[in-house]
Amino acid sequence: MTGDPRSDLFFLPAWPPSADAVLWVSLTLVIAALLGEFVYRWLRLPRVVGYAAVGTIVSALDIGLTGPGLKPGLRSIVDLALALLLFELGSRINLRWLRTNPWLLATSLAEALLTFIAVHLALSALGTDPRTATAIAAIAIGTSPAVVMRVAAEFDASGQVTERMIVLTGLNTFYAVLASKFVFGWLHAEYVGSLVRAFAHPLYLLAGSAIVAGLLAFTVSLIARRLDLRNENSTLLLLGMILLALSITKMANLSTLLVPLLAGVMLRNSTERPWIWPRHFGTAGGALVLMLFVITGSVWSVDTLVAGAALGAVAIVARAAAKLVATTLLAAPSGISMRQGLALGITLAPMSGAAIVMMTELQNLYPEFASHLTAAVFSAIAFLELVGPIAVHLALRWVNEENIR
Amino acid sequence: MPLEAFAESRALTLGLELELQIVNTHDFDLTHGAQDLLRLVGKRKLPGEVKPEMTGSMIELSTGVCRDYAEARSHLAELRDVLVTCANKLNIGLSGGGTHPFQDWSQRRIYDTPRFHMLSELYGYLSKQFTIFGQHVHIGCAGPDAALVLLHGLSRFIPHFIALSASSPFVQGIDTGFHSARLNSVFAFPLSGRAPFTLTWEEFSRYFDKMARTGVVQSMKDFYWDIRPKPEFGTIEVRVLDTPLTIEKAAALAAYIQCVARWLSFEQPFRPVEDDYLVYTFNRFQACRFGFDGTFVDPQTGEHRTIREDIAETLAEIEQHAIELGAEDACRRVRDDIGALGNDATWIRQTYERENLLPEVVRQQCLRWSR
Repeated sequence: MTGDPRSDLFFLPAWPPSADAVLWVSLTLVIAALLGEFVYRWLRLPRVVGYAAVGTIVSALDIGLTGPGLKPGLRSIVDLALALLLFELGSRINLRWLRTNPWLLATSLAEALLTFIAVHLALSALGTDPRTATAIAAIAIGTSPAVVMRVAAEFDASGQVTERMIVLTGLNTFYAVLASKFVFGWLHAEYVGSLVRAFAHPLYLLAGSAIVAGLLAFTVSLIARRLDLRNENSTLLLLGMILLALSITKMANLSTLLVPLLAGVMLRNSTERPWIWPRHFGTAGGALVLMLFVITGSVWSVDTLVAGAALGAVAIVARAAAKLVATTLLAAPSGISMRQGLALGITLAPMSGAAIVMMTELQNLYPEFASHLTAAVFSAIAFLELVGPIAVHLALRWVNEENIR
Repeated sequence: MPLEAFAESRALTLGLELELQIVNTHDFDLTHGAQDLLRLVGKRKLPGEVKPEMTGSMIELSTGVCRDYAEARSHLAELRDVLVTCANKLNIGLSGGGTHPFQDWSQRRIYDTPRFHMLSELYGYLSKQFTIFGQHVHIGCAGPDAALVLLHGLSRFIPHFIALSASSPFVQGIDTGFHSARLNSVFAFPLSGRAPFTLTWEEFSRYFDKMARTGVVQSMKDFYWDIRPKPEFGTIEVRVLDTPLTIEKAAALAAYIQCVARWLSFEQPFRPVEDDYLVYTFNRFQACRFGFDGTFVDPQTGEHRTIREDIAETLAEIEQHAIELGAEDACRRVRDDIGALGNDATWIRQTYERENLLPEVVRQQCLRWSR
């Protein structure tokens, strides 16, 4: 009655209304999902293009939520979503195939090497300093595992090009992470003058990641013996374990890209018995992947685009040409037709989440050096974010490997 | 198109055609690898042929004309080794079996040739459901009339061939209870069943002309009978077997058919009459459903016994012929199967009971095939 100093209408909300994170996240989810469906139904393109477009639009509007680089909170989502996709990718890599078809391994090494050389040469020709060119070339080796896995899943792709696309992506992501760590190690050596540091970091990374990956793989295989992995509850368990492994990875300063990839590969190749995974970890995974593409679609700004467009374009062209040449020349010896070889080269075009993570790690280690790279790399990623999934989809459709039309 | 003339062939020679499953090595579901596989195989020299079939997840290998069991085995082994090498290069697997245990027939793609597209148009969903895998055995005949007599003689033994080769208990993930569920798909086709009871080629030609005149049939290929004359090769073709899980069994069953054919041609233990066909569909169903435990009704005496017992009696009768043809090992295999081992359908069921995962069963089928 008396003594309450608040106005009579104290229960009404404040004006103007204050939005919190939940509002933005939910809005993003809704709009991205809608745009994804629109793109799929009306334009017959992969849904991820719609998700990435939302991110791109948010950046273009310069709302101030995003910028060239990953904020730490968003990094966790990206890491987890990428981990799920990398784990699935790894579990589709049959190492024995590389032995029965050595030309496939040759194709992988050739495309990675050619990409590195081509991008390095092209950027150097444009006057980029060698350290920057090397760092960009190392990151450019990798194809986006996220785009490749999602587009293949959306259109239920199957066939020789799909299989090889997955294997080559897994391998070149592995090479790219290692190469970029070696480059950083070299930078260590240059800046600090210590050769030990040049090799110690990459070696620690490789060995440590392999151990954590091994632990994850071992634990999953133990669980798989008791539980049926196909039901929803087991999916959550699997998700939880991958998240756990990821947090250990971060605590130990290891590679969040290598651990899930290696874990998937180890699981697959540890036993002949087929693994039947739940499709993309169910609904939780689907939401994470959507967020991943929205976030990666938005890690650029108009300024960086203007600054780095030219170099980015050159890098994209050199990279695409190198991959195409490698896959087409080695198509016949590795047992596919010329057309399939061309399509395979095109499917290796995307660059997205994994490259962003590699860049972010560089930014954390050497912010000053990284700023030389930022413009070019993020412009390239901004472009390929939208064009990459379309390229994969068209290439797979060209060779008739999509089962959903 | 009139019925072609019956070509000349050496009596009692053998030829085998096997339809194989092409599977991926992740979850061992069917995959459309035929075109890629044929591209690689086309570069090799082979004692026979490799051809595409109705859907892109099937591939057919055929031996040349073989004299006996040993030659059939050697042709098959060479073909198998080449196919397995090429399949390994493409990270795909090859397997026997009359049906794929869990494929979804609506996912299949028709192989891109005019004939297959025409069949797909004509038969609708049946052509995709026809993703079943069978073994066809050709037996050379002395002449067209002898061919027809042999055809009707062999019809009595169809339940043997079905029970021995049965390897399709699972369809779309479910145990159908049949030993050979594959034949249920064959019987859905309008021109399936058995050849009309004619014992001379002239009578048969008249029947063929009548069918051709009605426009229902263009060539012999349009008949999906259990045993069919193949005038082009000068043979009769037994089409009722499921693809076995190993080439050894495939060769052994072909040799068994060869021995029975020799017995029928040389000794003529029964004279085929139309009334023999009264029990035909019953015996055939019993074989598909129950395998060796099915009931066999003797067409001559009306006596009931199990298919197992009838095979055992037949093995005794053809013993001498087996020796002459060099097929004793083949007959010993058949005897082992009706004894303790059971047929491939039994093996598939036992493996599933142990592993409880159908993709794992298919993986083990691929292993058995490739060894």
